[in-house]
Amino acid sequence: MEFSEHIKTANVENVVLRQPLHPPARGTLCVTGHHLLFSDREERGSPQLLLLLRNIDATEKRMSASSGTITIKCKDLRVFQLDIPGMEQCLNIAHSIETLSCLGHVSEMYPFFYRPVDVNLQEQWGLSSPEKLFGQTKEFHDRWRLSSVNRDYSVCPSYPPTVIVPKVLDDESLKKVAKFRQGGRFPVLCYFHRKNAMVIMRSGQPLTGANRRRCKEDELLLQAVLGDSNKGFIIDTRSSQQAQQARMTGGGFESKSSYSCWKRLHRHMEKGRALQESLIKLVEACRDESHNMDRWLSKLENSKWLSHIQTALSTAGLLAECVERDGHSVLVHGSEGTDCTLLISTLAQIIMDPHCRTLEGFLTLLEREWLQAGHPFQERCAHSAYSHAHLQHESPVFLLLLDCVHQLWHQFPLALGFSDSLLLRLANEAYASNYGTFLCNNDQERCTHEVKTRTHCLFKALLKPSERDHYLNPLYEPTELAIWPSVQPQSLQLWTEFFLRWEPQIQHIEEAKKEIKNMISHWGKLVLDDSCSVSLNG
Amino acid sequence: MDAHIPSTPKEPMMMELLADVSLLPGEDRIIDKDIIYICPFNGAVKGKVLITNFRLYFKSSYNDETVMLDVPLGAISRVEKMGGASSRGENSYGLDITCKDMRNLRFALKQEGHSRRDIFELLFKYAFPLSHGLPLFAYVTQEKYAENGWKIFKPMEEFRRQGLPNNKWRITFINEKYDFCDTYPHVLAVPFESKDEDLRRVATFRSRGRIPVLSWIHRENQAVIVRCSQPLVGMSGKRNRDDERYLDVIREMNHTTKLTIFDARPNVNAVANKATGGGYEGDEYQNAELVFLDIQNIHVMRESLKKLKDIVYPNVEESHWLSSLESTHWLEHVKLVLSGAIQVADKVSSGNSVVVHCSDGWDRTAQLTSLAMLMLDSHYRTLRGFQVLIEKEWISFGHKFASRIGHGDKNHADQDRSPIFVQFIDCVWQMTKQFPTAFEFNESLLLEILNHLYSCRFGTFLYNCESARDLHDLRSKTVSLWSLVNSKSEIYLNPFYSPESGRVLYPVASMRHLELWVSYYIRWNPRIRHKQQSPVEQRYKELLALRDEYLKKLEQLQLTDSFTSPCLSHSPTPNSSSPTSTSSQQFTHLHTPF
Repeated sequence: MEFSEHIKTANVENVVLRQPLHPPARGTLCVTGHHLLFSDREERGSPQLLLLLRNIDATEKRMSASSGTITIKCKDLRVFQLDIPGMEQCLNIAHSIETLSCLGHVSEMYPFFYRPVDVNLQEQWGLSSPEKLFGQTKEFHDRWRLSSVNRDYSVCPSYPPTVIVPKVLDDESLKKVAKFRQGGRFPVLCYFHRKNAMVIMRSGQPLTGANRRRCKEDELLLQAVLGDSNKGFIIDTRSSQQAQQARMTGGGFESKSSYSCWKRLHRHMEKGRALQESLIKLVEACRDESHNMDRWLSKLENSKWLSHIQTALSTAGLLAECVERDGHSVLVHGSEGTDCTLLISTLAQIIMDPHCRTLEGFLTLLEREWLQAGHPFQERCAHSAYSHAHLQHESPVFLLLLDCVHQLWHQFPLALGFSDSLLLRLANEAYASNYGTFLCNNDQERCTHEVKTRTHCLFKALLKPSERDHYLNPLYEPTELAIWPSVQPQSLQLWTEFFLRWEPQIQHIEEAKKEIKNMISHWGKLVLDDSCSVSLNG
Repeated sequence: MDAHIPSTPKEPMMMELLADVSLLPGEDRIIDKDIIYICPFNGAVKGKVLITNFRLYFKSSYNDETVMLDVPLGAISRVEKMGGASSRGENSYGLDITCKDMRNLRFALKQEGHSRRDIFELLFKYAFPLSHGLPLFAYVTQEKYAENGWKIFKPMEEFRRQGLPNNKWRITFINEKYDFCDTYPHVLAVPFESKDEDLRRVATFRSRGRIPVLSWIHRENQAVIVRCSQPLVGMSGKRNRDDERYLDVIREMNHTTKLTIFDARPNVNAVANKATGGGYEGDEYQNAELVFLDIQNIHVMRESLKKLKDIVYPNVEESHWLSSLESTHWLEHVKLVLSGAIQVADKVSSGNSVVVHCSDGWDRTAQLTSLAMLMLDSHYRTLRGFQVLIEKEWISFGHKFASRIGHGDKNHADQDRSPIFVQFIDCVWQMTKQFPTAFEFNESLLLEILNHLYSCRFGTFLYNCESARDLHDLRSKTVSLWSLVNSKSEIYLNPFYSPESGRVLYPVASMRHLELWVSYYIRWNPRIRHKQQSPVEQRYKELLALRDEYLKKLEQLQLTDSFTSPCLSHSPTPNSSSPTSTSSQQFTHLHTPF
């Protein structure tokens, strides 16, 4: 295997590992094509460290004559040190880590090699499909249809092969609409609100350009979305100024004159680099070792992370309000429609739809709104907060989503069926994983690399009986009501379970949570086994 | 407040708006009136106000969105007239009420006919009864409870629980008549070998005679927490051999090599106190080390909380919330108090006796000893044990509740007022957040305690010290807050409590791990309040019921079968310590349970 080219020294003895939450340990370090392993010489049990090289965000080395220290900063925010005897060995190891941790080729990544004993690759990949969603919502079949216009990904490379669109538009018209929307992302349905038959659509921006181009089919499509109703909303995740400026580069927005029944609402949401820099600042503040932690709150504020959360939650709240309270259909887009658009449509669905708050429902939602909808995970999650590499397309939009869900979880401790450890797990997996789920940037790429036949599906694994228990919320009590988040800065909290996870105190609280979970299930088991009157839901 | 008033009444007519107020026994209507409540969140709301000798009650006249206020008069700090008969503008004539519990209230009245004169005068009179020769409501109420909360704390019983007296420590009644130290309790634990004459000589050298006495003893290593006031060193640097000897006796009793004296104050303040005759222990105290804990005084704390109120009421600071919060320094003060208490607890659990004082030894000292005891002794983390802790370290040792809160007193600008006890409860809340299974009580108890800190409905927090309480027959003439609490204890219980005796809890006192107690400080703002609070409470109640059911089952199983199945004996029941990892630095396991 060609990985070996990059491994000049595979094993080093007498290495000292200093990692958070553990005392320093001396043992053997081993580099493989995908992993960094460390184990105590005495114990032949499981290694103390088994780290996917993909998890490594940055390394720093400090050399002296006879030894060297490599500091490894991971995408899961852990930082640890390896004291390696022998300068050459140390340089070799460092080199291997640096090279192997950012291998570019998808097909070389670990998920293609990960073969757990208890599952085989024949199992069906994923939880849902547009066909399935469409099949479940028969009551809308008179106005909507399933289109395979994108079956070969030629109409929109970042869309799945099938999508749900208004019935009145044929595939030829859809192709025309696709040409009028950035990235070919013509408006597709992503959510039916059963209570009032309103829908959420999402798309890329219209390519009106400087000379205010129009597209008859696009206007027709949106008109068809409205049906009998005479008003809909477009939530544009850019400020109106940004939307105006976008026209200069060929983009644009739906003008009042061409889309008279649609009312545009602009909500400026940061994305891309601004978001990545916010994450970097936040993690920096969280790692501030200065003794008195002077000005911690100011630093937290300056990172702006919590204000990004506030914007995301309040925009999602606005979207849900339009649909649930005011009874209107809504189209969401920004420019590409692959980041903030997905963020707020996902959050709005969690706010409104109790099904999205169950474990299966939530994972299905992520699959539909992030994987199938073409959030470019590979680009966005290439690096995390520590990397010195030149930033390209990195942006922690998905992490922001998970944090927003965590805020909901915090504000509505009973309403979500999954536990917050699921969010933590997803935050890890998105950046480095044994599973193929978060590989590639869209469905087409996954298809090209045969991800669905040659890797295992994370969501399936999380739902296995052995795992799912761990991810259920013991306090869960389903409610049909919408859960309207409070977005006041006083109601938002730092997601300490993620950002401070390597501090002992957080580990302790996690243990206490586990204890609580065990308690509840024990009480339930004993009492319910005897069919007593006390009921335990969920 | 309590469930005396149904919060969702069915269609009351305008006339009968106030008909559904259920008054406490002994509570009398004083006046009611049509009024406009200028709600900072909903704007002006028309309705009716009722003032009794206990509360101010307001209810809006429109049904669709009922606005209701139910404020104990004790929570009022200041009542002022707003605008005059000739003021222009809508709702510019009325009353402005400042409360002690993080809110203000504004009411507008009709400008004609001096319509506010009577209500202002009556409110002023009943909100500040002591300034008008009236009794506090606690002396008027006729409430009866199944349990007598005054019996929760019996000093001798508490000493016995700690294993006292023993061959090193004796119980003295030197202060039985409060003539030894009028702000101390009547029973004290002092070194066995110190005679009463010694104590009297030490008393001359300690501010207000508050000599070093035992608060808590570690069962296993016999290390003690001793509390007192500052030594009267003065500018001239006076010494007192009896005081020096006395502290050395305390040190020797469990062979502590160096007695640690924690002076809660910042170093400079301790020095400055010399000018007024006070000071701190100098080098003449051989075998002792002095540590300053840098906790600011009551005035700094009062101003800090005032700043916090400014940014949360009526409008919460939005754009720069975190830096504004930082500039109040409230969390920083909480951090210093907690980290001081951690240092005390750490010394004691490693076998070293400590002395804790500040200036008078009734504010910061009470915070430090009670928090350290909460960390060290799991008994204080139970519902009843916590009541004992408050009764003992705060009430009996003369935290000046009357002066700090200003019960029934119109002098709102009194410099003696300070939220020291609120800050203590905040610290306890921080600990319950960090150790969700270690406390038998829940947040509702802490909120209830703070409600009644001001309400004057119970005798518990009245007066400055035990001697004053005895003088006014407090225990026979008023009801204890613990009577209420222990008569409906189920609503104050934490379903996830799993007692682990012997575990020392060290909270993390770092800014990153402290949170603002939003559900207390910002509880009046409907936009901040989490909307699902009540289902959570309901769920917790169900879980408590489930837990009780479980325990009952477990007991039955154990009765019918003396060999419990291995599965059950390892299950995390609330009565057996659960197998959590001990590797974490957060706990220290002592081998003998208390």
